[in-house]
Amino acid sequence: MDGTLVEFFRTAPIPPEVLSPSLGLIILLPLLGAFVCGVFGKWLGRANVHLVACSAIAGAFVLSLLAFWATSDAAGGRVVSMANPFGLDRDTIRYAIAHDYGTWFAAGDFRVNFGLLVDHLSGILLLIITGVGFLIHLYSTSYMEHDDGYWRFFAYLNLFVAAMLTLVMADNLVLLFVGWEGVGMASYLLIGFWYTDSAKAWAGRKAFVTNRIGDFAFLIATFLLILTVGAFNRQADARDYNAAGSSRARYEQGISQKGPVTFKGLEKLALALPQGSGGAVSLATPIESGPLSGYTFGGVMTATMLLFLLGAAGKSAQLPLYVWLPDAMAGPTPVSALIHAATMVTAGVYLFCRMSSLLVLSPTAMATIAIVGALTSLLAALIAFAQDDIKKVLAYSTVSQLGIMFMGVGMGVFWAAAMHLMTHAFFKACLFLGAGSVMHGNGDETDIKKLGGLWKEMKWTHATFLISTLAITGIFPIMSGFFSKDAIFHGVHHNHLHGLEWVSTFVYVLGLLITASTAFYMSRVYLLTFTGKRSPEAKLAHAHESAWHMTLPLVILAFLAFATFVYALPLMPRSGGGTQPVFENFLSPVLRPAEAVARAAETVKLDTSSPSVGDYAFAWMWALLGGGAAAFAYLKFFPSRVGQPVPAFARAVRRTALNKFYVDELYEFILIRPVKFVAFILFRVVDALVIDTVLVRGTAYVTEKVGLGLRRLQTGDAQAYAAIMALAILGGAVYALLQVLS
Amino acid sequence: MNIELVLFGVFAVMTLLSAGLVITARSPINSAMALVSTFFFLAGIYVLLWAHTVAVIQVLVYAGAIMVLFLFVIMLLNLGDAPHRGKPTVTRLLGGASAAGLLAVLAVTLGRMDAQPARLDAQGQATFGTLAAIGQSIFTTWLLPFEAVSLLLLVAMVGAVVVAKSRI
Amino acid sequence: MVPITYYLLLAAALFCMGMFGVLVRTNALVVFMCVELMLNAVNLTFLAFARMHGNGLGHVSAFFVIAVAAAEAAIGLAIVIAVFRSRGTVNVDDIRTMKH
Repeated sequence: MDGTLVEFFRTAPIPPEVLSPSLGLIILLPLLGAFVCGVFGKWLGRANVHLVACSAIAGAFVLSLLAFWATSDAAGGRVVSMANPFGLDRDTIRYAIAHDYGTWFAAGDFRVNFGLLVDHLSGILLLIITGVGFLIHLYSTSYMEHDDGYWRFFAYLNLFVAAMLTLVMADNLVLLFVGWEGVGMASYLLIGFWYTDSAKAWAGRKAFVTNRIGDFAFLIATFLLILTVGAFNRQADARDYNAAGSSRARYEQGISQKGPVTFKGLEKLALALPQGSGGAVSLATPIESGPLSGYTFGGVMTATMLLFLLGAAGKSAQLPLYVWLPDAMAGPTPVSALIHAATMVTAGVYLFCRMSSLLVLSPTAMATIAIVGALTSLLAALIAFAQDDIKKVLAYSTVSQLGIMFMGVGMGVFWAAAMHLMTHAFFKACLFLGAGSVMHGNGDETDIKKLGGLWKEMKWTHATFLISTLAITGIFPIMSGFFSKDAIFHGVHHNHLHGLEWVSTFVYVLGLLITASTAFYMSRVYLLTFTGKRSPEAKLAHAHESAWHMTLPLVILAFLAFATFVYALPLMPRSGGGTQPVFENFLSPVLRPAEAVARAAETVKLDTSSPSVGDYAFAWMWALLGGGAAAFAYLKFFPSRVGQPVPAFARAVRRTALNKFYVDELYEFILIRPVKFVAFILFRVVDALVIDTVLVRGTAYVTEKVGLGLRRLQTGDAQAYAAIMALAILGGAVYALLQVLS
Repeated sequence: MNIELVLFGVFAVMTLLSAGLVITARSPINSAMALVSTFFFLAGIYVLLWAHTVAVIQVLVYAGAIMVLFLFVIMLLNLGDAPHRGKPTVTRLLGGASAAGLLAVLAVTLGRMDAQPARLDAQGQATFGTLAAIGQSIFTTWLLPFEAVSLLLLVAMVGAVVVAKSRI
Repeated sequence: MVPITYYLLLAAALFCMGMFGVLVRTNALVVFMCVELMLNAVNLTFLAFARMHGNGLGHVSAFFVIAVAAAEAAIGLAIVIAVFRSRGTVNVDDIRTMKH
């Protein structure tokens, strides 16, 4: 390759030190867009709102691109780097830019800064959020063209993007939580966008309440981390700090400047905790004082990570909190594509990648994450078998794919999980937008049984949907989805958690089943929707292809869904010899501390081999199996049996799957009913009896009686009042006289 | 028995008599006229206290301005001889009794007190209670209260107009 | 020399008479006059104490009291007129709106 071209790409157009103070603009632009659209949208008119909303995201995208470029800046061979506030002077953070806007709030020795950090991990997410976000905004201008709430819609959408950008750019947990809550709120607003339909409003509420459970766990985990940092600071000695590449003075200075919950500070904590350093503190050391006294650092870390898992399960729709995501499809389809497929639901995966160094301290938590992910994935895939609503299938598919990412995170293949996050953002957004296009062109029909034969009428939608289906299923292997999923399964198979070796095999076997299931239900959706003959039950006789606003994003996303497979190819040299995938190499500045911790703590044995051709072929076989079964069933088996009675067994299975294995009903029975019962008791005893009767009415009763008694004194006669006053004066005078006399 | 004590006795008795008339007269006109006489005798008492200036103001402002206002209102409302309706209620009588009681208490208290006028030097005698001395005090030390009072009068004027006029 | 005590006794008597009048008279105008009596009693006390201490401050106070009394009279009488206009009476027995 030409040397000057390489030099061009290595030189950021805007130098990092110039750009970093403007990082806040990336958040501010969508926020401003949300403000303008939300407050003035009604008066601005449709076209202006589109312009404002789209250009805000486009501006954020350009800034993100510049920021991303700046993180890779290596002009003149000097890699962009900055001093680590928690490390020694020689300790620099490479391939990252950051800016601290000062203290957000401080209480005692606790403080939180408004600090933004862009490294390769958050840079990738920035590009996905603003890039895919822009495409979806563009798509929405056409999709929402007949809706009166367009200005509300775009305000919410911009608000969501701003919150999501806060989430990924935050350099500490508390600021991340702000974004975390912000996306939750935007999601709630957008799911219930058509709030006049009570079912849709309920869906929004369900999402909000379910997320609340996860957020509660997230908060407790944050508090635990703060306590752990405090305990570590009290108990650690010089060798501990030394193992983390820091010193007590430097670490405490960092905490007093940046606060205890910054990711860089937590990374140092993780580096210091493994046994190998020989210091006073290790995973097995009990905490001496404070609320956590008696527990070991390792135990607290496991509890913290499990709580974070619950938090992430809420946001990323994993067991047991996944139930809100399928209902979230009540929102407009672009919302499903942006929030409930590409960005927000991956926040949990991002969180664990961001805190990978802490996560690898606890094999128990990792195994739990992997198993939860695998079970969620399989369950969602099975439910997707029988769903007839195209958006519901895609929703369960999203749950399933997120489960795969959690498997990757749980088994320590963070780079593959992040890569699957990226490829999933492309193909799933494309699938959702394709589904939206199908609905748009068929009178809002979502039942795939009532579609069919669309490949002739909706050429662009069909082509892009096909490419994305191939990408997610891996039936045609030269696709991004195949490679990123296989990278996860390969890592899952070869990484081993210390003391929990069986998890690898267990999860891997489940993974193969998931591959086949995914291929089956996605092929089913594709076949029923686009091939065959048009269903006689269709709402419209002829579908119409959507406008270019809608097809252009589809084409771009489909291209990306295809092209990003190159990142999984082992093209880059590995530092210890051999080659490694491009994406792993790319994320290594972020994930290196996690690898170091895993090595030192001996909690995870990380495998660095690349899949062989045989491995790929094996994975491909499973995908083909699923796809072939679907093709057989829906092209040959069912069409030939039309009109014949269905066996009772098959009916029962189908009904169970259709009813989502009765998980919602189970929750209703074991959770919601008891909670409602307790609430009812509380209402009767506390509200009705104590508060209403005793406190409220009792107070009123006493006041009333006293008032009735006193009313006799109130004659309205001013002179009577004056007479009483005179009596009082006399009393005072007599008292004073007696005091003087005695 | 000096002339000052005689004068005080005369003025004091006349003041109390007039005041008694104020509170007992049936007609408001009579009350008002008795009040004027009370003010005049009080002015005499003030003079005995070497408060010449205040005595003059008392005659000018009270007996002159305020009482004219009262008479004007009485005549405006044509209250000549309004029948004395209603009996004093228990509370009122109680109030009256407490007024008497208060007087008794005060009398007891004052009876135990032996207060004599200050003995002033020649310079003090020349300036005490003069317009110059009061003016000096008001326009230097007490300028702010003075201005506040002027503001109060202004507000009272506007307020009186607003309250009394049926249509503005 | 008349003892200051005499003046104070006179003021006390005047004040209590005024107070008595305020409490028992029903004509609002007379009530006002009695208030003026009480104010004058206070003025007398001020002046008596000024004489007792040889201090001109009492005179200044009396001056202010007179000014405030003037304002009070103006407002009070305006209220009497307004009440009379709306109710046709100045009898405080008939004016019991403070009950509500």
